[in-house]
Amino acid sequence: MLQIEQHVLGNGLRVVIAPDRATPVVGVNLWYGVGSRNEPEGRTGFAHIFEHMMFQGSAHVPTNGHFHHIELVGGSANATTWFDRTNYFETVPSHNLDLALWLESDRMGWMLPAMTAEKLENQRQVVMNERRERYDNQPYGDWDERVQSLLFPEDHPYHHTVIGSMEDIAAATLDDIHDFFATYYIPNNAVLSVCGDCDPAHALESVRHYFESIPRGPAPPPLPGTTRIPLATGGTLHSDVHAAVPLPRVYMAARVPPFTTEAYYAGEVASSVIGRGRSSRLHDRLVRRRVAKSASCHLLPLTTGATMFLVVATGFPDTSAEELETSVSAELDAAGDLTEAEVARAVIGSETRTLRALQRLETRADLLSMYATLFGDARRLNEDLRRLRRVTVDEAREWCAAYLHAGNRAVVRYLADDGSRARPATSAHGESA
Amino acid sequence: MTDRDAPPAAGPIRPFEFPSVAEARLGNGMEVRLVSGAALPVVTAMVVLKAGETASPAGREGLAVLAGNALEGGTTRLSSRELARALEDIGVGFGASTGWDSTTVAVSCLAEHLPGAMPLLAEMVRSPAFESGEFERYRAQRLATAAQRRMDPAALAADAHARFVFARGGTYARPVGGTETSIGNIDAGAAHGFVAARYGPLQAALVMVGDVAEREALAVAEAGFGDWHRAVPPVPEPVASPRQRERVVHVVHRAESVQSRIRVGHLGVPRSVEDYFALIVLNLVLGGSFSSRLNLNLRERRGFTYGVRSSFAPRRGPGPFAVSTAVENAVTGAAVGEIHREIEDLVEGGPTRKEVEAATSYLAGVFPLRLETTGQIASRIAEMTVYDLPDDYYRSYRDRVGEVTVAHAARAARRHIRPAELCTVVVGDADDVVPQLEGLAIGPVTVHDTAGGSSAP
Repeated sequence: MLQIEQHVLGNGLRVVIAPDRATPVVGVNLWYGVGSRNEPEGRTGFAHIFEHMMFQGSAHVPTNGHFHHIELVGGSANATTWFDRTNYFETVPSHNLDLALWLESDRMGWMLPAMTAEKLENQRQVVMNERRERYDNQPYGDWDERVQSLLFPEDHPYHHTVIGSMEDIAAATLDDIHDFFATYYIPNNAVLSVCGDCDPAHALESVRHYFESIPRGPAPPPLPGTTRIPLATGGTLHSDVHAAVPLPRVYMAARVPPFTTEAYYAGEVASSVIGRGRSSRLHDRLVRRRVAKSASCHLLPLTTGATMFLVVATGFPDTSAEELETSVSAELDAAGDLTEAEVARAVIGSETRTLRALQRLETRADLLSMYATLFGDARRLNEDLRRLRRVTVDEAREWCAAYLHAGNRAVVRYLADDGSRARPATSAHGESA
Repeated sequence: MTDRDAPPAAGPIRPFEFPSVAEARLGNGMEVRLVSGAALPVVTAMVVLKAGETASPAGREGLAVLAGNALEGGTTRLSSRELARALEDIGVGFGASTGWDSTTVAVSCLAEHLPGAMPLLAEMVRSPAFESGEFERYRAQRLATAAQRRMDPAALAADAHARFVFARGGTYARPVGGTETSIGNIDAGAAHGFVAARYGPLQAALVMVGDVAEREALAVAEAGFGDWHRAVPPVPEPVASPRQRERVVHVVHRAESVQSRIRVGHLGVPRSVEDYFALIVLNLVLGGSFSSRLNLNLRERRGFTYGVRSSFAPRRGPGPFAVSTAVENAVTGAAVGEIHREIEDLVEGGPTRKEVEAATSYLAGVFPLRLETTGQIASRIAEMTVYDLPDDYYRSYRDRVGEVTVAHAARAARRHIRPAELCTVVVGDADDVVPQLEGLAIGPVTVHDTAGGSSAP
C-alpha cells in the first residue's frame, strides 16, 4: 500500500504526494487533460506538436534548457501525448526536486513568451521525421490509422491517430499554439504528482511556491464530435492492405466499455486469459501450433465512450492472412467458455506485473496522476492493486459474450503479397517528445 | 516572482550506495550473488551462462540464440504448455535472452513464490527437452525474424554496417541471431550439443535480487542448482578485426523509402578497454544524450531527424562504434556530412571542460535512477560475471566517472575514434541519395540490394 496525500491549490491544480524514502530519487509527473481527442478536424496531430513545443523553452528557461538542466543533475525527462491526455515527467536525484518543479511550473505559467515561428518550424520538421520514422517508412507502421478509422466512426474523437496527418502537421501555426495553451494548459486542467524521496510537507510547500501564482483558466470546451457510441460496430468490418510486409499480420479490434467503468475489470481479466503470457489461449492455440509467429491481446485504458480491445497476430511466410483471421476469430468466438483456473492465472499474473512495474517511480507517479485525473482520487491505485480478485468467472464470460462477437469487429489484414512498399508495428502507446 | 530567473539551488544530497551483494558458492562450486532486500515484495532470480553467440560454431551461427529461446519450450519432465502453466499459475514472468557474450534465463515473481519458481528455472537450464516439433517451432520463429529484418530499415542498417565494418568471417560481421542460411543448418541435436558443451555451473552464476532473506535464498538456490555437475571449458574469445582501414560508403537500396536510415562508424573497443569511463563520457558529449552535439545539431538546429544517437557497444571483443539516425531523403547527404564533421571536430578539438563536467555530473546523478527494479539490479550484477569486473566495480563506479578529466576524454577520442576509417551505411532510395553521397568525398559509394547483392551506382 502506498502512502498517498492529495491537495488542491487555489488555482485548481490537483497535487498528489506519495513519499517513499527507500532511495534518494524522486519522480515528478504532470497530466494535462488534453490529448488527440480534443483535436478538431484539420488539426490532427496538434496536441503532440504542442508537447514538442513545451521543450522549446519558457520565459525563464532557454530553448532546450529543460533537457539540459535535467541531464546536468543526472535526471531523466520526457513527455508523451495520447488520446485522452498529455503527460510530462522527470525522475531526478531527490535533492533536485525543486529544479523539476521550477521547470514544470515555468512552462505551465510562462511558456508563450518563448514561442517563435522559427521554433515551431524546427519542431514541425522533427515531428514530420518522427512520423516518417515510425509510420511511413516502417512495415505495418500505419496500422493504428487503419484500425482506428475502421473501429471508430468519423465523428468520434478516436477516429484519428495521435501523430496526425502530414497535411495537418504542416498546417499548425503559432496562433494555434497560443490558443491551445490558453485553452488547455491551465492549472485547473492538470494533476501534479510527486513520488519518492521527499518530505510531504516540504514538497507541498515547494509545489505551492512554484505553481500557486499561475492563474486558473476557464473550463476547457467540450470534446469535438460525438463521444457516445454503441459498443458494437454492427458487423465484422474489413480493411485489407497490400504492402511489402515481411509476414502477414492481422489486427482484430472491438469496441468495449471504457477504462472508467466497472465492466473494464472483467475485460482486463478476459483479455489476459485470451492473449497475455505463454499460457494464454492465443499463445497456446496459435503460437504453440505454429499458426502464428506471435499473437497477443491488448486492452487500452481509454475513457471516451468506448475503448479498444485489440488482438495482434503475425503469421509465418507461408501462413495466409485469411487463416490467421479465422484462427483469431475462433478464439474470440469461444472465449465465453473461459475457466476458473484461467481466471486465477490471469489475476495473479496481473497483480505481479503491476507490483513489478510499481518499482519504477516514473510508472508510480504516472499511475497516481492517471487515477487522480480519471477518477478524481489517486488512492484508487491502492484499491485497484487487488481489485481483479473480485472479478468472477461469470463476469469475465459475460464480458466476452457481450463484446467479442462477430457483430463487433474491425479487422485490418496485411497480406504480404505485394512487392511495392514496405511498412512494423509501433506500440499502442503515445508519441514521445 | 524574481526567484524564477535562475534554477533553484539543490537541496542537501542524500548518499546512495549500490546495494550490498553477498557472495556464496553452492555445493558444486556455482557462484551465487545475492541482494537481499527490496521495497516491494518481489524477487528476480537470474542464471547467467557464459555461453553467447561467440560460442556458436561456424556454419551454425544463431545456435546460441535459438537454443536459449528454446529453453522456454519445455523440459524432459514438462511439456512447453505444462512449463508455461506451472510458472504462470504462480504469476512468474520468465524469459531467456542471448547476446554475444552470455545467455541469461530469468524468473521474476512475488517473493512468496520464489520456492515454486526456482526449481522451474533450474529445470529450464539443466534439462531442456528440445523436443523436435517444439524445437522446429522456435527455429521457424527465428527464420521469420530474419526475414523481418530484411524489410526493417533500422535492422537492415545495423546488419549492413556490421557486414562492412568487420572483416569477413569474424565474430561480429553477421547478425547476432544468425542468417537464414545458418539457422537452416541448426536442429535439435545441435542445441543439445551446445548446451552439453557450454552450459555448466562453473561457467555460470546465479543472481538473486529482492525481498528474500539470505538464508532462504541460498537454500532454494542449493536445492535448484547445488547438484548440477557438468564441466565445460571457458568461453572462446571473439575474433574481430576491421574489414578495411579506408573510408567507404555503402547504400542499401530500399525502393520508395521516404527516409534514409544512416549508420556511420567503425570497429570500436572491447569491454575491458582501459579508457572505458572516458569513453562513456565522450559518447555522452557526441551523441549519447539529448543535449549532445549531434542531437542539438541534427534535430534541434536543422530539424533533419526525430533523433540521433551515438554508441560504443563494448563486448568481450571490440564491438562497433556507431552514430545512428533517420532523415528525410533530400537531406541525406547533408546529414551524413554533418555527422562526419561532428566526429572530426570532436577528435581534433576534444570535448570542452563544460561538456565533460556536464557528462560526469549526469553519470553520477543517474546512477541510482537505473537501479530501481530487481531486474535492473540483477542485470548489472550479471555483467560483473560476464565481463570479470572487480567486486567493488559498482561501489566505485561514481568515483571512477568523477576522475575523468578533459584531457582523458580528449585522449580517448584520439585513440578510439578514427575519422579516416569511417564506414557509412545508408538504407534508402539509392536513386535519391547516391548523388548526394558522391558529392561528399567520404569514400567510394557501392550500392547493394536488400538481399546483400551489390552493383556500381
